[in-house]
Amino acid sequence: MFKRKSASPFVFNVKSRMRIAGMVILLAPLCIFVRLFYMQTFLYEEFSSKAERAIYNYLAEDRLRGKILDVNGRELAESVRTHSCGVNKRYVKDKNKTVAFLSETLGIPKKRILEKWNRSSNFFFVAKKIKPDNYIKISQILRKPLGQGLELTPEYERIHPYGDSALDLIGASNSKNYGLSGIEQMYNRELSQDISKKRAKRARRGEIIYDRKLKEELSVANVYLTIDAVAQFYAESALKKAVEEIGAEHGIALVQEPKTGKILAAASYPVKDGQSLAFQFTYEPGSTFKTIAISSALDAGVVHITDSIDMDGRVWEIARGVVVRDNQHKKDFLSIPEILQLSSNIGAGKIALELGAKNLFYYIKAFGFGTKTDINFNGESKGNVLPYSRWTKVDTATKGYGYGVAVTPIQLINAYSAIANGGILMQPHIIDRIEYTGGKVEKKSKPVKIRRVLKEETTQIMKKALQSVVEAGSGKRAQIKGYNVAGKTGTAEKLSKEGGYAKRKHIVSFCGFAPVSDPQFTVLVVLDNPSKYTFGGTAAAPVFKEITERMLAMKGVAPDQLDFE
Amino acid sequence: MRIFVVLFVLAFFLFGVAVMRIEINRSGRTISQLQNEVEIKEARNQYLQLEISRLAGPANITRLAQEKLGMVPAKPHEIVLLEEK
Repeated sequence: MFKRKSASPFVFNVKSRMRIAGMVILLAPLCIFVRLFYMQTFLYEEFSSKAERAIYNYLAEDRLRGKILDVNGRELAESVRTHSCGVNKRYVKDKNKTVAFLSETLGIPKKRILEKWNRSSNFFFVAKKIKPDNYIKISQILRKPLGQGLELTPEYERIHPYGDSALDLIGASNSKNYGLSGIEQMYNRELSQDISKKRAKRARRGEIIYDRKLKEELSVANVYLTIDAVAQFYAESALKKAVEEIGAEHGIALVQEPKTGKILAAASYPVKDGQSLAFQFTYEPGSTFKTIAISSALDAGVVHITDSIDMDGRVWEIARGVVVRDNQHKKDFLSIPEILQLSSNIGAGKIALELGAKNLFYYIKAFGFGTKTDINFNGESKGNVLPYSRWTKVDTATKGYGYGVAVTPIQLINAYSAIANGGILMQPHIIDRIEYTGGKVEKKSKPVKIRRVLKEETTQIMKKALQSVVEAGSGKRAQIKGYNVAGKTGTAEKLSKEGGYAKRKHIVSFCGFAPVSDPQFTVLVVLDNPSKYTFGGTAAAPVFKEITERMLAMKGVAPDQLDFE
Repeated sequence: MRIFVVLFVLAFFLFGVAVMRIEINRSGRTISQLQNEVEIKEARNQYLQLEISRLAGPANITRLAQEKLGMVPAKPHEIVLLEEK
């Protein structure tokens, strides 16, 4: 048997030794635990923000934008992702090498970069909207010493492949992809989508680590217009040529499908983004409005197409001191087609009086004048038609030949389309469809009949009368070989700032449709304030002819004249 | 003995989780890089598509047809329409 020599407290048995060893071993984790507790509790904010900066990257807020296309899917406006290249001077290692690299890659002279360098305190943009090829070159050196201090900021460029074409309709959006005017603004909600700021984990060198959470469901839509880019080009080029030739202030050309109300082209010149004169411009239409007054009187049965109107020696005193003259003819009586052919103010004025203020007002409103067309274009004007209770005898007569009433081009062309299609006022529209991501399509251009304005028989009579204007009247320059064309010229004096009408300021126009047997296109041309003295028949009718001719050829419409060779 | 087995299994499991985590991160980084490349290629492709649209636009085609080939727009009556069968 062993026996302990002494009971010294410094002599440990195995159990005690293990206990001490265990305590020593536990001491380290305990220290760590205490430290962790301290850090988690008291230094939480400091360390969490350090970790946040080290591990995560915040991806910038983004706004995607859909396309605007013509009816056939040709892109009129599209967003392309580009980048801006900036320099943070503080982090640049070698100024000369960096400037040389940027100059070579971006094609900017070194001198210009150095000028910006010297002007800015720390950060400056070298170039905005850089092309993808250059972006690749710069992004490849970002992690190398040469690329230190360079920054690439994503942004968008709205590109219009057809240049200024239809820009007055499309409008503008800014570099943050926000619609500012025109269709861009009207359909901003459908076209754009905000991508919220997202937290992404990053690797050692700063690369983003993909995470399923980063994937965002896209919901931007593409907006298809009823506009045909080729028709728009025809209208714009013919209009531009005419405006420049006669030195007009503005020009407007509209092409509509009379049976459906679709707008195929809406050109304004000069072009200002988002400002389409076709919907926003108001003017006194002059003689093109005679068609409205005369068709209304025929429809109401107060005159008949075979009636002859007394010209009162071509000087007609409507009321005391208010005299209307017809200097363009020498006839004592005019038939209704002749009133249109010769554009007689006396004839149209007398017919308007025969119809009466109340009835004329009813028809004017039924044709859609004095109210917005619901096409929903920003800034659309409703024109101006005063209530008939405020009309004098002179007001009623002058409305017969298009004075004392203000219309917009879209209202006038829609009224002519109603005559062309057999008497039904159609809802004009400019948006064909909206296609959402995922394939959902919202059809917007279904033909909508607003109301019947004229009896079908009246429209047949009016078509023949308007055809005679082009064949034998003031609209001869609108003739198209092989096709029967109907239309009416207009030359109206503009209101003067001093009161009354300005003799030297006028608006010339022509509105018509073709082919008469089965109208496919209604075309309106308005030229505002030409510097040369011209008439609707000499300045606007040839533009109508050019546009209509090219539309007929483009759509392959068969001639309706049999012996035109 | 049993505790050692449990600890070993646990350690092995944790090791597996760690390896998997590293692998996920590595894959995520690769996907991210590839996505970046795709984005750049898509942007380049979009630019080229737009260039095609611009060149195929009516204004450009008309100008080239008139200047290079001396063509003029056909009048509608000069077009012979073939009846659809």
